[in-house]
This record gives sequence, structure tokens and C-alpha cells, in this order.
Amino acid sequence: MQRKNLSFLLANPLAGVFVALLIIFVLSALLSPYFLTSYNMSVVARSLAFVGLVTIGQSMLLILGELDLSLGVIGGLCGVIAGMLMMNFGVNPWVAIFLGLVAGAALGCFNGIMVTQLGLHSLVLTIGTAGIYGGINLVLTKGVAITNIPKEIQFLGRGDVLGVPVPFVVMIVVLAIAAFVTLKTPFGRYLYAIGDNTAAATMLGIKVNRVRILVFTAAGTLAALAGLLMVSRLGTAQPSIGDTWVLPPIAASVIGGVATTGGVGTPVGAILGAAIIAIIENIIVLFGVSPYWQGVVSGVIVVLAISFDAISRRYIRRED
Amino acid sequence: MAFLEVEGLGRDFPGVRALDNVSLKLELGRVHILAGENGAGKSTLVKLITGSDPTPSRGHIIIDGKDVAEDPTKFRFIAYVPQELSLFPHLSVAENLFIPYDRADFTGRLINERTLEREAQVYLDRFAITAKPSALVRSISVPDQQLLQIARASTNKHMKVLILDEPTSSLTTTEVERVFNVIKSFRDTGHAIVFISHKMGEVLEIGDDFTVLRNGEKVADGKIDDITERDLIRAMSGSELSFEEHFRPTPPAEPQSGPPILEARNLTGLRFHDVSFELRRGEILGFAGLLGAGRSEVMQTIFGYRKAKSGTVLLQNQPHKLGDTNYSVNHGLLYLSEERKLHGILPQLSVRENIGISILKQTLARFGISSRKERTLVEQIIAAYDIKTASMNKKISFLSGGNQQKAIIGRAMATAPSVLIFDEPTKGIDVRTKAEIYKIMKRLAESGVGIILISSEMDELRKCASRIVTMYAGRQTGAFDNATTSNETLIGAIFGSGSHSNAA
Repeated sequence: MQRKNLSFLLANPLAGVFVALLIIFVLSALLSPYFLTSYNMSVVARSLAFVGLVTIGQSMLLILGELDLSLGVIGGLCGVIAGMLMMNFGVNPWVAIFLGLVAGAALGCFNGIMVTQLGLHSLVLTIGTAGIYGGINLVLTKGVAITNIPKEIQFLGRGDVLGVPVPFVVMIVVLAIAAFVTLKTPFGRYLYAIGDNTAAATMLGIKVNRVRILVFTAAGTLAALAGLLMVSRLGTAQPSIGDTWVLPPIAASVIGGVATTGGVGTPVGAILGAAIIAIIENIIVLFGVSPYWQGVVSGVIVVLAISFDAISRRYIRRED
Repeated sequence: MAFLEVEGLGRDFPGVRALDNVSLKLELGRVHILAGENGAGKSTLVKLITGSDPTPSRGHIIIDGKDVAEDPTKFRFIAYVPQELSLFPHLSVAENLFIPYDRADFTGRLINERTLEREAQVYLDRFAITAKPSALVRSISVPDQQLLQIARASTNKHMKVLILDEPTSSLTTTEVERVFNVIKSFRDTGHAIVFISHKMGEVLEIGDDFTVLRNGEKVADGKIDDITERDLIRAMSGSELSFEEHFRPTPPAEPQSGPPILEARNLTGLRFHDVSFELRRGEILGFAGLLGAGRSEVMQTIFGYRKAKSGTVLLQNQPHKLGDTNYSVNHGLLYLSEERKLHGILPQLSVRENIGISILKQTLARFGISSRKERTLVEQIIAAYDIKTASMNKKISFLSGGNQQKAIIGRAMATAPSVLIFDEPTKGIDVRTKAEIYKIMKRLAESGVGIILISSEMDELRKCASRIVTMYAGRQTGAFDNATTSNETLIGAIFGSGSHSNAA
């Protein structure tokens, strides 16, 4: 019985990525005396928070069998929109943030509507919309940052709650909601059903297109949230916000056990994957290695993770 | 001496004996008809004699005097043209003819397009194909494509035996004539032709010899001149069809009153026209027809998976909204697809999740889906439908086809539907599980659920259905009372030999 429980634990799809995270965490702590300092921990947590919010949305899209390459630029564009509303039009900062979120929802929703109503491939469509959204960003800002974001909202990006950075708290709350939705609600079950077999999901009477549009909208909103938190963290609305949020969330999802073909994985796994990437990026900085190596390292992790997954899957199949 | 001789040939698949003790003799200069219903074993036999399935379970294939088990190069004499178009639509006619190039003796490293097209023209002339060699295949007509497939097979320089699998299924009469001319010219130049067709008229016109398969066994052979259409159909359908055990629902004691459960009126959609029928309480309504007769299309349209062009559907005497599967499911109309893998199971999810997806209304508690409730309900369904699985957490794709099917039926029943449409529910399922599924259908029908059964197996329809609607080429050709109709009448209606009806 005891053995059975243990093997059940190991069979949990999250076990592998969790153990990997633990090993990397311990190794980092052993290798660098600075790693565990509270300052460094809050740096890691904060950087994980921004990418993490995008990762949660992207992982839900991947489970659905879709992909949105415009999430990064949605984050940047919405930050810029909110910044301009505050600074150029004198809108109340809180209202501006709300409108920024609405913009993110609208942009994500647009992607979803195009994908479902025209039957476009989401990868191809969002390459296009990423160009459009990013272009609008540059047209609006002419590439220049909007500075002097009001102090009253800066705590969203810079503040702490009991020593934990606010963006990280926000990310954890969003993750909890996402985990509940995917695992415990009918909507979540529909997500997996559609991602696994769209035709069968239709035959079961699931409103496939509505679910798809909703998840695109949610992912856009989360990307905007990440962008807005970043604006309040920096105190300026940089047009370049979100440039680095395109591939890492996909890589994190894959490391965390989300299948790019849909139907498999959880947002929690994806965040564990994002944490692995965040720690490795951090340790590279701590060691003073050229940041140019970051791409190589996170690429190697992705390749390792999917190879490991493929091999273990073959093993499991043989067992069955 | 026959050029190709098959003796005692058998082929087993896990749990199924697809072919047993089949013999066949092909002689050069003659057209051999291979006849049989869907699933009779024709394709299995063709795969064995073309070498695409190189592992017969029993028996011998002798080509040109040698057993292919000793000399597999003998398969080079056999050319096969499949029923479905399998051309490369974005390549030119000439390229399609000669790919792969080495087979057609284009051995050079570089392919000269002009040479290719000049060579191609020779074949096109011989087959009376009007398309240009440089034209893309997707832009030429369907008959030209069909003929091109035959031409492609004949670019095999070694060809002695040409197997044509329903080459005329999408052709009109004049186009069929073109195919027949090609067949005759091959016959007269000393080739053996195997002609597979469901169209009796064509078979009798072009054939010299015939072999009939049924349930994987050879049931008749001889010369076409010695057999009548009626005898041929009887051999295919099996006049000694056993009626000992049947699963027809017992009609309700009191006479029918009130409206039918489901009614289709002049329904027209993609690949079917003007279909009308009614499904009464307590009966299993069978749908018979050949592959591609449009039965699945009709049902998928009623269910809302496909768009209807015109016509109406009434469910419990209420107009039924078409084109919306969600609406159908919410109103108790369910369709269980023939394509279990494509349209049925969620392959990467567990048995629990696969069944649980349909009972979310019952398992939803205040704090989301209750795992405890879900486990209890799924456990009940697994027991009620006798689904054999080591654990409900096992991925459904690891279950056998029959158990997947029972899981899908159990899942559908958990929503308490009023109409359940089964599309080939026993495809690829062993005999014992088949009987279990028949019993489930009978039980459901008797409990008042309207059951529609689409099946390509006449035996299955005769055993289960109360009434049978027949379709041919997208049109309804009749509606029959199962108990009082002969096999010949039904088969005739399936093969489109006229419009009959003895029970509207």
C-alpha cells in the first residue's frame, strides 16, 4: 500500500518538473552564497512574476491546442496605452490601468475571433497580429518611453506584502484561480477535451469556439496585467516591455509538461517550468556569465525536458 | 495454368479472423470479378496478393509459378488501383504518372521535364485522357483523375495483373465506358484484371469469372455467364442468414399513439437529398446502404455536426434547431460516431475524465467538480456497461475498441438522452462484445429511448432493427419492415436497383 502511494506520487506528471526545480534550487544555493539572500530571492520572484502571468495564459492556450505569439506585444502595447492615458490625457491612474486591462482583453479576443470564425491557424494569425500590435505601439510612442508614471500606482510593481513582491503575489493569486478553473470546473474539462480531440468535443456538445475565444481573451488580459505591473515597476512605460515574453512562456510550459499538441499539462506545471528558467537566468547573472549565454542555457533545458518526456512516455507505454 | 493462384489463404488480426481458407485463380486475358459486401474480406485479400500485407497467417500465393513466400519479387507483376483517389494534387499529370521515377525506368539523377511530359503523352493518348501532361492534377476532371490512377498503375513495366477497386464509383455512364475500354484493351493484350465493384450491371457486363467472399471466406466462384444477378446477390448477402438469435426490441403492448420521437422531413444536405423518415417509440430504426450512401451525413446533419441545406427535423414533435451540437445534446439527441478515434474518445484523458465530461452537471459541487461524486458515478457506469479497465484512471486509448465503445455508450446514457444514433457501433469489435452492444440497444429501445442504427453489415441490421431505411447515392430508396422483407429486396434497394417501400 505504502509503495503504491509512492509510485502514485511519482506518476504525477508534476513530479518530474518539481524534482528538477528542487535540484536546481539546491544546487544554486550551494553554488552561490548570494542566491538565498532575501534581496536575490525577491529579484527572482519579481522576474518570475511577469513572465509567469504570460505563462499562465499561454499554457492554457497550449492545453487548448492553440498558441498566441502576440502576448508579449499585447503586454507592451497595453502598458503604453495605460501610460499615455495617464500622462497625455490626464486619466486617473487606476482607471487607466483598468482600461489597459480592457485593451488586453480586446486584443486577445480579436485573436480568438479571427482564429475561430475564419478557421485560421493561431500560430500564423498571431505572427501577423504580433506585427500589428507591436507596430501600433511604435506608432503611438515613436519608440520613446513615457516617463513619470504616478507614484501612487508604483507600489504595484515595487511594493512588498510581508516581504513578498506584489507582482509575485498577484501572479500566485492568478495561478490559484487558473488552477482551480482548469482542474475543478466544467470549463476546465472542456479545455482539455477540446485540446485533446476537437471533433469529439464538438460531438459532445461543447461550445468549442466560445471556449477558445474566452481563453484567448483571458490570455490577452493576463499579458496586459503583466505589462501594467511592469510599467508600475519601472515607473516608465517602455515600448520594449514584453519583448522577452514570447518564447520563455512557451518553453516554460513545455518544461512543465504542457503538450504543444494540446490536451495535456497544467498551468501549475508551466509555472514550475518558468521558475526553473528564472533561477537559471539568475544564477547566470550571479556568476557573472555573459547574459548572451541565457538563450543557449534555456534552449538546452527545453531540449532536455522534451527529450526526457518523450523517453519516459515511451517507457510508460511499454509498461502498459 | 493460372497466372496467379491463391490457396487456403487466411489472415488473422488480434481477435478477428479477417480471411480464412480463400482460394482464387486469375488467368491472363480474363476479367475476374471480386464481389462481397463491405467487410467481407476483399481488401484484406487484395492487400495480401499485392504484397502490401506480406504476412498471411495461412496458405499460399503463387504468382507466375512460384510461391511469393520464396520469391517476393513476383509481386512486381501486380498493379493495384485503390478506390480513393491517391494522387498528388499539386504535382503535374506527368509527375503523378511516373512517381516514383525508378519504377517507371527513369533512372537518371536529374528529371528532364520535357522528356517526362513527352513520355506521359503516350500514356494519356492510350487512356484517352484529355488533360495536358503539364496540368496540375487538382485542376483536371474527376474521370481524368480516375483514369490517371489506372494509367499510373500501368506504368509498371512488369504489370501482368491489374486490380481495380471500385474504379467507377464516382463516374457517370459515359465515363464508365472509357474505363471499360481501358480494361478491355488490357485484357486483350494478355493481362489479368481483377474488378471490384458493387454495381451489378457493370459486373455482369465486363466480367468473365467471379469469386464471392462473405465473412472472410470464399462462398462461390465460377463463370459470369453461368450466374444470374439474383444468385450473385444471394451469394454476397448469404441467404442462410441466421435469425435464431435476434435483438429486435419487443414492440410496446398498446398500439402506437402520439407523435414519433424523431421525424425528418425532406432533409437535404451535403451528399444527400430529400430524406424523410420517422422514428417511433420503442423501435430500433436501421439505416442500410453502401459506404458513401450518405447515411452518416444525414445523421450528422440531424445532430448538428454538419450544415443542412433545407428541410426540417422534429424532436418530440418540436422543431429541432439544426447546425448546433450543443443544442442537440441539451435536448437529448445524441450521435455516436463511426469514427471512435476521430469523433468519440478523448485519447489522452483517463476513462474517468472521458466519462466524467458528460456528467459534469451531476458532479459539480459548491467548490468545483467533486472528485468523490465523479468517482462514484463513473464507477457505477463502468459496472453498468461492463467496461473492462484496470482502473478508471487509465488512459482510454489503452482500452480495447469494444470497451472504448461501451465507455462512449455509458457516457452518452448518463445524460438520459431521448434519441441515440449509433453509427456502425460494432466496427472493429469482436463477436461477443457485439452481442453485448446489441443487448444494450435493445434494452434502451424497450425503455423508450429512440434508437437509430447505421450499419454496413446486413446481418447486424436484420438482427437488431425493427424497420430498415435504405439509402443509395445520397437518396432514400425505401423503408421496410424488417420481419417481412427478404434479403434480396433489401440488397436491391441498397444497390439502387429501384425505389421500393412496403412500410412507409
